[in-house]
Amino acid sequence: MPIRTTALRVKHRRTLVLDSLDLDLGTGVHGLLGPNGAGKTSLIRVLATVAEPDGGRVEILGHDVGDHRGRTEIRRRLGYLPQEFGYYPGFTVREFVAYVAWLKEVPADAVPAAVERAVVRVGLADRIDAKVRTLSGGMVRRVGIAQALVNEPGVLLLDEPTAGLDPEQRVEFRELLRELGTTATVVVSTHLVEDVAAACTEVTLLDEGRVAHRGTPASLTALGAASDGPGDHPIERGYTAALRAHRATVREGALR
Amino acid sequence: MTAHSLLPGPLSGPRLHARSRAVLLTLAALCGTALAAVWAAGLLDAYLDPDRRVRVVALAPLLAAAVIGTGLHSPSAELDATAVRPWWPRRLAHLLAPTALAALLLPLAVLGHPETFGAPAVVRNLLGCTGLVAASAVLLGARLSWLPATGYVFAAVLSTSGARGHWARLATWPVQAQAGSATWAVALTVFAVGAALYARHGARAGTLPD
Repeated sequence: MPIRTTALRVKHRRTLVLDSLDLDLGTGVHGLLGPNGAGKTSLIRVLATVAEPDGGRVEILGHDVGDHRGRTEIRRRLGYLPQEFGYYPGFTVREFVAYVAWLKEVPADAVPAAVERAVVRVGLADRIDAKVRTLSGGMVRRVGIAQALVNEPGVLLLDEPTAGLDPEQRVEFRELLRELGTTATVVVSTHLVEDVAAACTEVTLLDEGRVAHRGTPASLTALGAASDGPGDHPIERGYTAALRAHRATVREGALR
Repeated sequence: MTAHSLLPGPLSGPRLHARSRAVLLTLAALCGTALAAVWAAGLLDAYLDPDRRVRVVALAPLLAAAVIGTGLHSPSAELDATAVRPWWPRRLAHLLAPTALAALLLPLAVLGHPETFGAPAVVRNLLGCTGLVAASAVLLGARLSWLPATGYVFAAVLSTSGARGHWARLATWPVQAQAGSATWAVALTVFAVGAALYARHGARAGTLPD
């Protein structure tokens, strides 16, 4: 299994943000949904080896993130788009993506082609020599996606990748996600359930650091079809229905 | 070192890394600091009394250390954290290279009188201040790293006349004359601890928005 977490616990200051999380994520596109503060970004940061877990075990591509050598091997095959990433002032798109390729130790002779391939995939080929600071917010987001793709990752972690993209770009991005999901494990944290419905093979709904629902987008839609809760589309109703059902279960458990 | 790191040209890794940290800007600012120190030292008529140079000896290294400290900022710490390459050699080089340049340039402002407030005292203060700034970058972030060192050196300057006794002189090392090795030991220790902390942990991210 490319990603496996076992009893994962993460604290932010004194608050438990991920509570005994068990997850197995295989090849495909996995949507991470949940309200603000559910633990989506904390989970992505732990999987990206940026934050350390406070308990439990995380294995990525067969390596333990707690092991120094294992972590190095994971990073070599990991792509990561943070929710907010600052770019280096004065860099062009090509330089920025090439710098990340260098950080990832992509072989020297492969870098120029890898950079161009990644930039073409996000639709920025005509802006490859433009300064990043001159691009629009949506284009900068796509530069971020390009740097995450430059090392042909086996695991790709994207935190709010469609923020700032216009509808046409989002449709193109979903297509890219589906393509990437055929060979890699892609984890996408988002608030946009329609992106999950269109591009993901599996969905995990988090609430207060716990898994509230796991299944396919179709299963979430089916949950919504059987629910009369709030939401304009069946998958939105499924989202709220799954959250409410989970919260009711947690409340009942607390009362016992 | 891989073959890629040896490649010349605009896409070579070390070159991009230096640009990502605005190293040229830092080096230019250090040259400017050295020029300002030469100018300030020239106003003091130090040939009449070399002790008048104490403020230049204390403040010029502080300014240089502040330049070095703010240059430790990374605009994309979150992405840096996922690098395969180990960071400590690059961090150490990033700290030591500008410190070495400043150690060559700043003494030009205070030539002569090495036994009091001359070149050795400037180098000692540069090392001590840089150590403070490097440790502060780990705790507070690079953008605010100059603050604790500035407070410390100004407190030392203001308390010069009240510094009596061995421990008080050690505590006010930035304003002590170059006599004896005790103040050097303090400054070198602060530098070693600050550099080790920075090499191990890097500058704290997210102190100020970009």
